[in-house]
Parts: sequence; structure tokens; C-alpha cells
Amino acid sequence: MIYKKVVFITAIFISIWCTNESMAQSKVSGTVTENGTLPLPGVSVIIKGTSIGASTDFDGNYSLSEGINDNAILVFSYIGFKTQEILVNAQSIINVQLQEDTSLLDEVVLVGYGSQLKKDITGSVSTIDSESFESRPNTQVGSLLQGQSAGVQVISGSGKPSGGFSVRIRGTNSINASSEPLYVVDGVPTTDTRAINPSDIDTMTVLKDASSAAIYGAQGANGVVLITTKRGTTSKPKVSLDLYTGVSQVWNTLPVLNGEQYRDLMTEMGLSTDWDSFTERTDWQDEIFQNGFSQNYQASVSGKTEGTSYFISGGHLSQEGAVRTSEIARSNFKINLDQDINDWLKLGTRIAYTIYKDVDVNDNNSVNQGGVLLGALTTPSIIGVYNDNGMFTSNPFQNWENPLASTDGLDREYNNQRFLGNIYLEAKFLENFKYRFNYGIDNSHGVFDSFLDPFRTGFGVAIGGQGINNTDKKSYYIVENTLSYNKAFNKHSVEALVGSVSQKFTYENSSIQTRNFASASVTTPNGGSELFDASAWKSERANASFLSRVNYSFDDKYLLTANFRADGSSVFGPNKRWGYFPSFSLGWRVSNEKFIKEDGLINDLKIRAGWGIVGNDNIDAYSYLGRVGSGANYPFGGVTQPGTFPASIENLELKWEESEQTNIGVDLTMLDNRISITADAYIKKTNDLLLNAPLPTATGFDNAIRNIGEIQNKGIEFALNTVNIKSENLTWSTGFNISFNRNEVISLVGQELLQGSITGGRGEASLVREGEPLGTLYGYIFGGVDPTSGNAYYIDNEGNSTFTPSPDDRTIIGDANPDFYYGLTSNLNYKGFGLFVFLQGSQGNEMLNVTRIETEGMIDPKNQSIAVLNRWRQPGDVTDIPRASFGNSDNSRVSTRFIEDASYLRFKTITLSYDLPQSIIDKLGITALKFYGTGENIFTITDYSGFDPEVNAFGGSNTVQGIDFGTYPQTRNLIFGINATF
Amino acid sequence: MKLFKTIILALLLTVTVGCDDYLDLQPISEETSGNAYETASQIEAALVGAYESFQSSEYYVWDNLLFQDVRSDNCYAGGDNPEVFQIDNIDIAATHSRLFSHWSNLYNAISKANLVIERVDGITDPLLTEERRSQIKGEAIFLRSYHYFTLVKLWGGVPLITNTIISTEAEDVNIPRASVEAIYAKITADLELAATLLPDTYGNDASVNKARATSGAAHALAAKAYAQQPNPDYDAVLTHIEAVESSNANYQLIAYDQLFSGNNYNNAESIIEVQYLGGNEGNYGPQLLLPPSISGDSWRKFVTPSVDLVNAFDLEGDTVRKNASILFESVQWVDEFWGNSQGTAIPFSYKWKNANGFASADNTYLMRYGDIVLLKAEALNETNQLQAAITEVNRIRTRAELSDLTSTQSNSQQVLRETILKERRLELFQEGQRWDDLARYDALISTMNTVVEIDLRTGNQVNYNMTEAKKLLPIPQQELDRNPALVQNPL
Repeated sequence: MIYKKVVFITAIFISIWCTNESMAQSKVSGTVTENGTLPLPGVSVIIKGTSIGASTDFDGNYSLSEGINDNAILVFSYIGFKTQEILVNAQSIINVQLQEDTSLLDEVVLVGYGSQLKKDITGSVSTIDSESFESRPNTQVGSLLQGQSAGVQVISGSGKPSGGFSVRIRGTNSINASSEPLYVVDGVPTTDTRAINPSDIDTMTVLKDASSAAIYGAQGANGVVLITTKRGTTSKPKVSLDLYTGVSQVWNTLPVLNGEQYRDLMTEMGLSTDWDSFTERTDWQDEIFQNGFSQNYQASVSGKTEGTSYFISGGHLSQEGAVRTSEIARSNFKINLDQDINDWLKLGTRIAYTIYKDVDVNDNNSVNQGGVLLGALTTPSIIGVYNDNGMFTSNPFQNWENPLASTDGLDREYNNQRFLGNIYLEAKFLENFKYRFNYGIDNSHGVFDSFLDPFRTGFGVAIGGQGINNTDKKSYYIVENTLSYNKAFNKHSVEALVGSVSQKFTYENSSIQTRNFASASVTTPNGGSELFDASAWKSERANASFLSRVNYSFDDKYLLTANFRADGSSVFGPNKRWGYFPSFSLGWRVSNEKFIKEDGLINDLKIRAGWGIVGNDNIDAYSYLGRVGSGANYPFGGVTQPGTFPASIENLELKWEESEQTNIGVDLTMLDNRISITADAYIKKTNDLLLNAPLPTATGFDNAIRNIGEIQNKGIEFALNTVNIKSENLTWSTGFNISFNRNEVISLVGQELLQGSITGGRGEASLVREGEPLGTLYGYIFGGVDPTSGNAYYIDNEGNSTFTPSPDDRTIIGDANPDFYYGLTSNLNYKGFGLFVFLQGSQGNEMLNVTRIETEGMIDPKNQSIAVLNRWRQPGDVTDIPRASFGNSDNSRVSTRFIEDASYLRFKTITLSYDLPQSIIDKLGITALKFYGTGENIFTITDYSGFDPEVNAFGGSNTVQGIDFGTYPQTRNLIFGINATF
Repeated sequence: MKLFKTIILALLLTVTVGCDDYLDLQPISEETSGNAYETASQIEAALVGAYESFQSSEYYVWDNLLFQDVRSDNCYAGGDNPEVFQIDNIDIAATHSRLFSHWSNLYNAISKANLVIERVDGITDPLLTEERRSQIKGEAIFLRSYHYFTLVKLWGGVPLITNTIISTEAEDVNIPRASVEAIYAKITADLELAATLLPDTYGNDASVNKARATSGAAHALAAKAYAQQPNPDYDAVLTHIEAVESSNANYQLIAYDQLFSGNNYNNAESIIEVQYLGGNEGNYGPQLLLPPSISGDSWRKFVTPSVDLVNAFDLEGDTVRKNASILFESVQWVDEFWGNSQGTAIPFSYKWKNANGFASADNTYLMRYGDIVLLKAEALNETNQLQAAITEVNRIRTRAELSDLTSTQSNSQQVLRETILKERRLELFQEGQRWDDLARYDALISTMNTVVEIDLRTGNQVNYNMTEAKKLLPIPQQELDRNPALVQNPL
């Protein structure tokens, strides 16, 4: 607290001090027009070499009063127009005509703690602006990133509305620490993007290499995504309304045995029952899949008046899933406000409040554990939904309840409220200095409510019903003080930045569970008579950092950026708490050299190279300590006594995981800016991995966190944007990006990790081994089916066939990493009509289809897929499906038999839109009106035999990838919407 | 520039003020190895944590039944779990997931006991009396011995670890297996020490005396270990049993149905038992075993008594123990041994009586005097005191309302040996003893390869294919992968 006060006093001190300073400077104003007639609103006017600037109002007027001197150069830039630079030279009115252009080179790109012109950037940075995602409906931040940027891989663990995304920038860097990038929303770092409303986003900047991410030092190892929300730019208030409604459904169902075929199989296994009493014909996939309806309403008002810019938005999204009962809903409010107090002091705020709700669906589980997807596949059709007594039906041979017991028999709902915002204050002083104070908070409060009624499910009856109420509360704040300096003289341009950052994260949760309910009408825990669980937990962590950066350019040709950041983190031992993260990068704007002819073939050519070290501390709080847990209680004398247990081994030497990254790249724009190409090559080595290294469990511990091992990612990525046709009525532009990444575990000090347990005691299927990539799949080599016995045989490590291979015969059977992944967009506009197509694909990645193990294994009375119709039944049968073998999984081991190519090419989005012509909207008194229809995942080209290739049962796991186990599939969505602007 | 410097300085100051404090955060909801073992109540809590392994290790909840009663001739797997079927069929691979979880849980229990033994001497809190300090040490030593006894019976020689692990270096954690003899020597020596540290009772509260390790419990366990070790020391067995019988705890046989009535735990026969209160201190084992009429479930239950076992009860005319141990009920599922069609009456393991929705208050006997009486008979027989042995067996039979042993049941050491084994089977079914008994009598191969169990689906006799190698479990593959110093058992 003392610390916070000091910061605040410092801020005030600086502001008081600044008022005494007289700042001699002139003022420039003017009007920006397109070809001298139409005023251009929203044009960026920036003093060259600084981030000082303004933008034009609705009438194209601008006014600049800070940082102006005779040598100042004003840079006028606007998307779609050629940038102009004008020397002030004692002028007080500068009117400018902008020429249309397709080059995006001179746009201002937000980088960490500041912004740069795109042409000056020396790191590997890609931007995604709202134009590229406004042309399609979006519900999540992850979908804005997918396929849009080379080197950015968006992995959807599942298609469920609440599923979220996992993002990998240039591969997976870690084994146990998080590999998710850092998101910074208007200056406030966060890892949870679920609450962020895509409609509020103006641009996203992805910092991919160490030289650009190093300013985030300790948190930058996995790359950084900077999210900037919208602000007002026009003097006339701009009112915008977006509405859409849609429907989502699964695009694929899997054929299973019918009642007769199921009876044949059970009979073959020696199971019999009173078959005549099972006469239902239920299609369980029909029962659990539905048309999920979604609606989205967003409204915003923005504008800019003298010294004040504002953006206010509100919206509501509700989305049902394609699987029964799954849903999310989100309501959001946003206020962005910037106020110039005087010509040197400015303050502003970004405030977002979000109410979020979801209902999850049990997937990635077999029917034994209530998994809905596998329940639909393995529940035989011969039973109905309910028994006569009102309970859910079960498998005729086992009490595996039908999948509706999971979707309908258990209430479950998560609600979250989140406040994310910041206030900042900017003071300019002397001639070239700027001080900025930023205080941001991210507070959220969630409640999970669950109720299992005491009547309809077996477990519910056994325990008399169960009510659960869990709460979680997260509080975070960040305090930043930065001081920057800008100076341009002769051909030199220098920008320097120093600052300090402190962050603290506090987490707490509580849980209550009661059992023994009299009815299903009270669902909260107060209705249960038996208190089963009541607990609460708190933890906190803190970071303190110092950062610095220098940007230098000479003659607009030679560019240099250097960063240095020092970070201290509370999760590491006192001996190793501080980490130091330097980076350097160089750029050479070849096109500004004399040997490149102006107005020739090449508009811009830049070569970049960078090196840096970034860190990762994303592990549990207090990791270095030997922690002693509570709750190992035991009764003596009929009273439960408190007991403790050692939870971890102390490691005072625990330190930062460090990622050393080298990047080279080239940016090329040519043919009158109609073709732009970016290519990058990189190599990243992550050392001193924060690894939960497995210990022999005879030590009493399963693992200990240590800094061991090394992982390498190297790759190349390539982006091509072209304007193919550009005429008065017809424009056609395309974008293409492709990424190749190779991951390799260089060292694990001789250890191997086996992870990802497969159902039925079949062992682990994911291997982490030196020399192999993360995501390596591991198991037996399937030889075939012995025509005599019907048993599966495998190939052992000496190449011989065996029915009973030993664990030593397991080997690498697949690789979940794609050879490459790519995205392709095409934007065609003819008069008011627009056709936007977005394809995304992944090539060469393999999947272990455990859903097939579960539906082709024939080891228990589960219904099976129609593949088992080809099973071995009598000696002499030649087939690749072994015989049924009740209670024995030897015929369905994790093996090459279940490895499939999961490459896919997917039409992620096809949008057809129509903008009403000017003549009509003028009559209606509106600025723009657009109707559109969108299809998502309309076509998918894949050989994968499961529900969907774009899934992982282990979600965003660093190591266990490429496993499908009844995972909620991606859905096909149809959406219709209207955008109106007033 | 002076101003600039001032600002920078101010900035840096703001962060450096209290920077070390700012980052030096201690856990809020946990203790640390530095502050968790300072007071008397903290070392008591660490000891409670060591006892808690009896509840949190699945082996002591119900898997002992799988590895003792199901793996042997007492029971079938029942239920729906392929890995449990593998145990029933004595077809257990090194990758079997239950092997690794039991190995890990048992060693975790040992590490908790080691911690108490190591730390208790350093407690300076005056509230810790010297008497209590000795008891705590004795309790922890007993617990460690109990778990090593479990380990050595399942796997043979295992790593012998008697200190807490504080370094993660390979040479400190890759500990090889000790010999079977070394493990038994440590167990018996430790128990003899514990017996001197522990009291006969902790007062008059049976729910404390039967929950905590006592001198009687240490002697009883020592007797069992001396009998089970490769070269049994029957004189030591008898010495320790005598100590059990002369204990002030006054152990007595009680009516058999009272042992398993479900509401008479912590009784005079009990030496030590796992305590449950129901609710969140509940026992989930009973729900897995008890029939629909009691559990309310309709799913197939585990640990189904075998035809051979039920025949053994019937052949002996043993209704008292059979009725206390087994309940027949007609069910909606099929059972491949009892009736391959729905509606057949099949037997259920019935020594636990209450299911309570996976939260039963039924305890589990770890050791009871009836077991010790039969062990005494065994030791007397092995030391050629047949008449004294017969007397002990008859105490058990009388309690079961059976007639005394006839001469055909006891006319030679060998005959009496087999009689005692049979008696133990009926007395101790569903108490996690059968496999060990067969092992001690060297009867595993002969028993498992001659027992006749017909799979009604095929009409064929089950071939358990018992071998010398299968007497011990394979060392869990995952542990082998983690510890290159381990050598696998013969497979």
C-alpha cells in the first residue's frame, strides 16, 4: 500500500511541477481532403519521430499544438491513402490533399509502451485491424486471430461455445509453464480473453519475436497480443448498430450399430438379456445434437469534440451450442474516454464491464464418466430416454446412463462479472519528454452453481442429490510509470523510454457442497441436509519490473531498436528472483537507398534482424517453497482432527525459464503498393525449462519443479497480400499466409515424460523425448488380425509379430504437429456487393482417434460404430477388425491402427454482403447500411474419420496434443446480420 | 538534464521502495517446510496426515480386496472395469494403472511417517510432553512398518527409504530395491522399538484406542511379519502374540455377527481399524460392493464372492460367518459365473453393511484379534504344539457355532496346516488376507491352478495360469521409467 501511495504522490508531484513550466511552441491547424473536395475524417496527423498526434474531425479539420516547431515534420496518414509528410517551417495552417493508395506501410502500429510507423518497425510484428474481422461475425478474440497472421496458430480444443481458444505464437515453448501469449488490453495485461467483446476492438498487434516482445520481458516468451479498443475520431457522433442471428449445428454424425447389430455383438460376447423388453429405437446423436440459435446485438456511439474523444458501447450475445444444453451469454458495456486538459496534460480511461454466463457440456469422457458425445455413440439404440420410474435409462448390461442424464440431469452454470479498465495520465514537458502514468485493474468474480437432483440419476439417488456453489475472485492491478524522450535532428531520430512496472495478482475461491435434498425445487446448497464440503483458499503473486528501450533511425534507412528489461517475480526463490532480458534489432530500408529507383517496381523494401531473450514465470504461486498442505484430516475419538501433508519439495534455486530468439525478416511492397510480402525466419531456444520433473514416487512426491531441459522452435513464415483488381466498381484483394514450425525437445537431462492416459488402462499415449517434438504420439505398431484366432497382433521392437507385446515394444506412432498451417482470405467487392471468403487449414498433423478405440474396441457392453460389422467372427475371416473380447483390451491397444491424418482445409467463413447504395441511404438519413449472410465451416476437406479434425481432448496442453476422445466438435454456423451506421 | 535525472530517480525510487517485501510473498492457505513443524499441535497434525493415508490410499479403501480376495480364489471382479478383470485373471501388466497408484500412495504414506519421525525430536514446544513425544514417534514408526509390510507382500524387495527426501538429484532419488529380508528385518526391528514407545491404550475411549497405533498393534503386526517373512520365526510370532494377549487393552473375541453388524466398530476384538465418520470423512468402498437393496444402485457391483468360496462355507455348514459375510440378491444384470441371465440371485460381499451414497461410516479392520488367534494356532502347529493349536482353532470355531475340529481335520501337522488355512479363509474373507495366506502357505500355484470356476458364457473352466512369477506384482512401469536403479520382477 505504501508503494501505491508513493506512486500516486509521484504522479501528482510531476503534474504540479509541470504547470510551472512554460512551453514555447506554435500551433498548426488545417483541413485534410481527398483530391481537394471531399473532407477526410479520421486522418492521423503525427509529428514525425514522435507519437504526438491528432486525427481529423468529421469535416476533415485538425489542430496540433504540442511538439510543433519549425523543423517538425507532420505525417498525414489514412488507410487507403498515400501518406504525406510536410515540414512545418513556420506555417500555422497546412491544408493537405491526400491521394488514394493501397499501401498500408505508413500506418501507425501500436507496439509495447508506444507506437511506431510500420515502416520503422524492426521486429516481427503483425497487425490485424478491425477491417479484416468486421466482415464476419465473431464471438471470441481467438477467432479474430485464426488464420490471419503467419506464425500464429489458434488451436481450438473443441467447438463448444464456452470452449475458448489456445494460441501458440511460433510453437510451444514450454512443458509445464503456460505457452499462451500475453494479451494486453489497452495497457492491462490479461490471460483470459473470454470477456473481451470483439466488436469493441479496433486493432490487434501480435508481437512475435523477442526483439518486439522483450519490452514485456518476463511475460513475453510466448509472444504478446496487444488489443486496442476503439476510440472516437469524428466530430459528428457516430452511431453504429450491429445485429445478427444465426444457427449452429454439427456437420458430421458417425454411424453406429442398430439394435439388431448390437444384439448380435452382445450375443457374440456371451451377454444375453431379455431382448424382447428392449424395443425402443433411439438415435442418440439425434437426441443430443440440436440447432443452436445465437443472437448478437451491439450498439456504440463515438465521437470527438474539442479535446474530448469518446467511445461508448453496449451489447448482448447469446449463443446456444450444437450439443443440447450448452450455451454462453455475454453482456458488455464499454466506455473509452480521452480528455486533453491543456496543451501538455492529457488523461483518459478505458472501462469494460462484462457479464458472462456459460453452461458447459461433459465431453472428453466415456459414457462411464457421463461423457455426452461418447455417450451418444456408445449407448445402444434399444432403450428410451426415461424409465417408468422417471429415472434416466441405462445400458441393458451396465448402469451407464444415457447421455441425456448428463445434459439434462445435472444443472450447471457458471456466471462471471468482470471489470477491466485503466486510467492514464500523460504529461509532456520540456521539449521532448513525455511522462505517462497508467493504473489498470482487472477484477472478476465468478460463481459456479450445480445441482444434481435426487431422483433422476443413479448417482443422484445414491447421494440424495447434490448442490454445489463455488465462487472465485480474481483481483489484479498494474501500475506503470514511463518516461519517453523523442528527438529528431538532421538525419537522426531518437526515441528513448524508461519505466517501471509493478503488478499484483490475488486469487481466492470458496466452495460449498451439500447432499441429501428432499426435493428438486431448491437447488442451492441450503436445501441439502448434509454438509459435504466447505472450503476456501487464497493466494497471491507479484511482479516488479524496470524497462527501457531505445529506437534510433538514421536517414530513414538504418533502424535500430534495443530493449532491456529487469523482472522480479514472487514465484521464484530469493536467490534467483530477478531475471534480465535484453534484445536488439536492426532494420535496413533498402528502398530508401539511391540504387533503388523511386516510382519503380519496388515501393518499399526493408530487411530486419533481431535477437533477444524473453522469460516465462507462468507457474503456480509459491512454486519455490516446500509447501505443506492442509486437509489430510483423520478422525480420532469420533472427531475429525486437522492433518497436514508435505505438498512439494523446496527449491530455492528456482528461476526464470528463458527463451532466446533470433529473427530475420523482409518486408517488400511493390507494383504500386498492390503486392506486399512479408517473410520471416526464426529460431527460438527455451532454456532452463520450468519442468515438473517426475520423481520416482518412492520419494513420496510425484514430481518436483526444476529448471531443466531445452526446447527449440524454428520456422519460417510468409505472408502475401495482393490487390488483384482495382477499378471503380470492382475491387478484389487476397491475403495468404503460411507458417512452418519445427518443434524439438533438445534436452530433458535424459528424462522421458509419458502423459495423456487413455481409457481402459491402455497407458499413456503422449511422449516427451529428447530429439522429438512435443505432441509426439506413442504406442504399439499394429500388425493386423490373425485369421485363425481373430486377435490383433502387434510388431515388437525386434520386428516380430506378437499378440502380447510388452511396454518396451511401444514406439513413436504419430506426430500431432502440422507440417504447416495456412490461411487464405479473398475479398471481392462489386458495387455494393461483397463476397468475403476465408479458408484456413493445417497439413500433416496426425490424430490419435481414441473415440474409435472406444467405439471399435468391443470390450464391454457399449454400442459400437458400424466399423465393427467387419469384425473377425470365425476362423478364416480375413479382416482388419479383431474379434470382440469382453473385458480385455489387448485387441484395442493404443496403436498405429488408431492414428489418422487430421490435415484439413476448411472454409471458415463465407460472407455475402450488400451495402445499400448512397442514393438510398441518403434518403433514409443514415451513413451506411449493410446486410450480410455468413456461413462458417460450411465445407471441410479432411480424411479424418471422427466428428471433426480441429479438436484436442487435452485442450491447450503443451505436451498432449492430437487426441480425440469424444471431443465436442467444431460446428457449422449460418448467420444473418445487419450493420447500420448513423 | 538535472530535472530529467530527478524524474528518473523518483521513478526508480517508487519501485525500489519496499521492492523486496513486495516480491517476498508467503503462502496464505498453506504452510511451508520452514514453519509447519514448530509446535506440539503442528507435529500432531503431521501425524494425523500420516494416518490419513489409510483413507486416501485406494489400496486401503478397497483395492486390498481386489489384490487379496479377487486375485485369489475368494471373489470375481464383478463390475465393469477392464483393469479389475485383469486382476481377477491374474493377468496384470506392469502398465496396470492401479499398480502405480498404489505404489505411489504407499510411499507417500511412508514419506509422511518419515517426516514425523524426523521432525518430532526437534519440537521445542513445552506443550509436547516427553511421553507424548515417544508415542508420536512410536505411532509413526508403526505406520511406516505397516506400509512396508504391504509393499513387501505385493512386490517383494522394494526401495527402503527411512528419511525424507529434500534433494531431487538423481543419486538421492534413484534408490534401488532392498532385499526382501532387509525389508522384513527393518519392519520387525522397527515394530519391536515401536512396541516399547507405544502405550497399551490412550485412555478409555475406544474410538481413540482402536484408531491409533498401540503397543498391542505393534506386537500383532510384528507377529504377522515374522510369520510372513521368507524364513518364518515362529518363536518370535508366539512371543509377540503373547504380548498382544497380555496387553492391558484386553483383546477378546466377540460374537461374529457383532463384528460386522455395521454399528459395533472399535469393539474389544479390534486391534486397529481405519476410522470413518460418513459424510466428507466417509468410506466410498461399501457403495462399490453392496447390492441394490442397500446401495440403491442398479449397476453391477464389484468383488463378487466366488462359487468356490460359497461352496466352502456350505461344505463346512458355516452359516454364522456366511450370513455375516455374504448376501444373495436377485439382480437386473447378468453375471458370467452365477447366472448368465437377468434376475439371477447372486452373492455380494457383505461385511460392510452401509453404503450411504459413497460416504459410509463403516470402518475397515486393519488387524483384529480373531486373525491373531488363528495366527497363533498356525505358529503352534508349525512348532509342533498341535494340541495347543487345535485349542486356538476351536476358539474361533466355537464362536462361529461350529463343532470342534475332528481328528481327521487335525491328525497331523500337515492336515492341521490345511485346516487352519481353510479356517482363515472362512474367518477372514473380504478382509484382504487371502492372497497373503496362500503365499505364506506356498499354496498359490496349486490353489489357483486347481480351482474350478466355470464361465457360463462359454461353459469353459477359467484358466488362471498361475505361475511362480505371478506371486509378486510387476514393479509399476511408470516407476521403472522414473528410476533406472530399479530392476523388474520376473514376469
